[in-house]
Amino acid sequence: MSARILVVDDDQAIAEMIGIVLRGEGFDVHVAYDGPDAIAAFSQVKPDLMLLDLMLPGMDGIEVCTRIRESSGTPIIMLTAKSDASDVVRGLESGADDYVVKPFNPKELVARIRTRLRPAAQATVDSLQIGDLTIDVAGHEVTRDGQRIALTPLEFDLLLALALKPHQVFTREMLLEQVWGYQYKADTRLVNVHVQRLRAKVEKDPDEPTIVMTVRGVGYRAGAAR
Amino acid sequence: MLPLTWRSLVQRARQVWRTSLQVRTVAITVFFSTIAVTIISGYMSITIATNLYEARKAQVIAEARLATASTQQLFDTSVSSDGSIDVNTVGLTAQNTVRNAIANPGGTQIALQRTPGQSTQQIMTPFQTSDLDVGVISADLRDAVALDDGQLYSQAVSLESDGRVDPGIVVGSAVEVPTAGQYELYLVYNVRDVQQTLDFVQQTLVVGSLLLIATIGLVTFLVTRLAINPVRIAAETAEKLAEGELDRRIPERGEDVIATLARSFNRMADSLQRQITQLATLSRVQQRFVSDVSHELRTPLTTIRLAGDVLYEQRDQFTPTTARTAELLHAQVGRFESMLADLLEMSRYDAGAVTLDTEPTNLVRLVEESLEAIRPLADEKGSELRLVAPGGYFEADVDARRIRRILQNLLGNAVDHGEGHPIVVYVDSDSEAVAIAVRDYGVGMDAAQLQRVFDRFWRADPSRQRSTGGTGLGLAIATEDAQVHGGVLDVWSEPGVGTCFRLTLPRSADRRITADTVPPLDLPPVDPLEAVIESGDGDVESGYASSPEVRS
Repeated sequence: MSARILVVDDDQAIAEMIGIVLRGEGFDVHVAYDGPDAIAAFSQVKPDLMLLDLMLPGMDGIEVCTRIRESSGTPIIMLTAKSDASDVVRGLESGADDYVVKPFNPKELVARIRTRLRPAAQATVDSLQIGDLTIDVAGHEVTRDGQRIALTPLEFDLLLALALKPHQVFTREMLLEQVWGYQYKADTRLVNVHVQRLRAKVEKDPDEPTIVMTVRGVGYRAGAAR
Repeated sequence: MLPLTWRSLVQRARQVWRTSLQVRTVAITVFFSTIAVTIISGYMSITIATNLYEARKAQVIAEARLATASTQQLFDTSVSSDGSIDVNTVGLTAQNTVRNAIANPGGTQIALQRTPGQSTQQIMTPFQTSDLDVGVISADLRDAVALDDGQLYSQAVSLESDGRVDPGIVVGSAVEVPTAGQYELYLVYNVRDVQQTLDFVQQTLVVGSLLLIATIGLVTFLVTRLAINPVRIAAETAEKLAEGELDRRIPERGEDVIATLARSFNRMADSLQRQITQLATLSRVQQRFVSDVSHELRTPLTTIRLAGDVLYEQRDQFTPTTARTAELLHAQVGRFESMLADLLEMSRYDAGAVTLDTEPTNLVRLVEESLEAIRPLADEKGSELRLVAPGGYFEADVDARRIRRILQNLLGNAVDHGEGHPIVVYVDSDSEAVAIAVRDYGVGMDAAQLQRVFDRFWRADPSRQRSTGGTGLGLAIATEDAQVHGGVLDVWSEPGVGTCFRLTLPRSADRRITADTVPPLDLPPVDPLEAVIESGDGDVESGYASSPEVRS
């Protein structure tokens, strides 16, 4: 079964064009043109991935993103005409997994989509321990003292990547390659923002992390298993 | 510790001297008035002393004259009718006579000495007051008195009594004692009272002078404060204006020259503010427009791009004409896109909306990466790429994305204009700066072209085949990228010889490259490699394989 993708853009031409490109790649594409429309379509279509323009009439992309993140971890890739720092960071902070700057290359867009849809790296173990958390690899679940913590697939991948090699220090570039699938140098803010979001969910005190540790000047590593 | 404190104190004083006009004025005024007051009070002190002393001396001499006359008279009248005289009795009487003749018998000492070297019928016993040290009467004075020319001789001396030294005056005169020959009468006056008066006067003068100087200092301080304060306020206001606080003004008070200064200053500030605000608004509107246009263009461009790419991918199925059309569309959309990106970047710089995203970066590694990225293109043109890096291996705090962009631009230009000759990249650093130079041995540029090379949308040779799809904004953006790092991008070129661009960056982010900085690399860098290249001998490895710094 082909993956369902919801494309949200107020510019009909670009929405249709993206639809043509993605259908050509074998995806099942649905289109929405504004914020409320997007939220309605989301619950109706239940897409596997959403492409979301940041500048939408009525309700802007950031709000749409926040609303959807309240109930779902479905991968969201932002489409943005602005590569300006503040907009990208705001989008990522509202829960978008990745972003693509207009104008983009169709191959690049498809590559980004496939990375987000691909199943997480298959681990040879069923269960992992990171800090006081237990990761059920096969069941895609993270628990603390039997209590389930809801993570988006991206956050789960990020945590899993760290937990699989507890002694390894990951640079931001390594994480970009492993979790986001970037082969070349990309925006390290992706890593920074998502580590913050992950910490907010899994750490008891996000200001003094014990699960996702910062290694100053290098990157991140997993906290010791307890 | 102490010399250090001393030195810092001197330094502080110097600093205050240099910076405070008020301190300087007060200090100079006090200095010169001190000199004037010292001279005046010195003169006064000397005059008063002389007068006091002279008056006292005149009094003393008058007394002495009287005493001498009385004594002489006593001696003359003491001769009995038979011509005999009881010299010793007369001598005692004479003492009393002298005492009676002088005003202050207690403080004055008397001596009646026989002039030596006489032989007479009888000798009167010389006498002297008990506490008199005859030593104060000098031999010179005695000689003078001994002449007996009817004059009185006086001499200033210092008298020692009770371990104290007082000024004194000795007055000497000669008297004739009948039958006993010539005697010398000396009156020794202690003039301590004069000295005391003088001391008091001098003390008063010193205290008065000090008070006067302090008053002058204080008055100068107040007056300069009055005069300097408005100037200081004006200076501060001008400083604030220069810093961009355009609504700062000087308070206008009164009708004097300072008020006039304040009024014209404020008028100038008003007109300055008006014009700056106007210009700023204009430029904001314009930048906003450029930025908006660029953004607005992006959405349709994305659609065009996607459509073009879809057509391009399917061009095999089209007729040759349509296929070629799809190819042209694809290529030109790409060019349009990079132009738009450059334009947007430029508008960001113009708006001052650029922030550096610095991270520790090894510049040599960065150059190596950029060389690898350009290698396919260089191979296509037949240009060999070489790296000469004696320095620059430390981690520099730079925005790697921007430096990489500069390098890509310079390398792209070098390949495009390199005529297939080798391209050499030099990296070196010193304690101040790190420099990267990109040297090609291609067509080069003449002086006129060199002048315009950093201009926006300027191309050296529009007809020239470009493989890197230049937008004409590359070097303008590279210059901005260098400047935002506090660095400098400069160029050397000669037609037919080649071109060299040199990027100089400060070692630490808080410093800037100025005209005084000596870059670690010459422009163009002098390198033994050059001789090899110019002789057309490409076999670099054989000559430089031993040097680890030369890599190709």
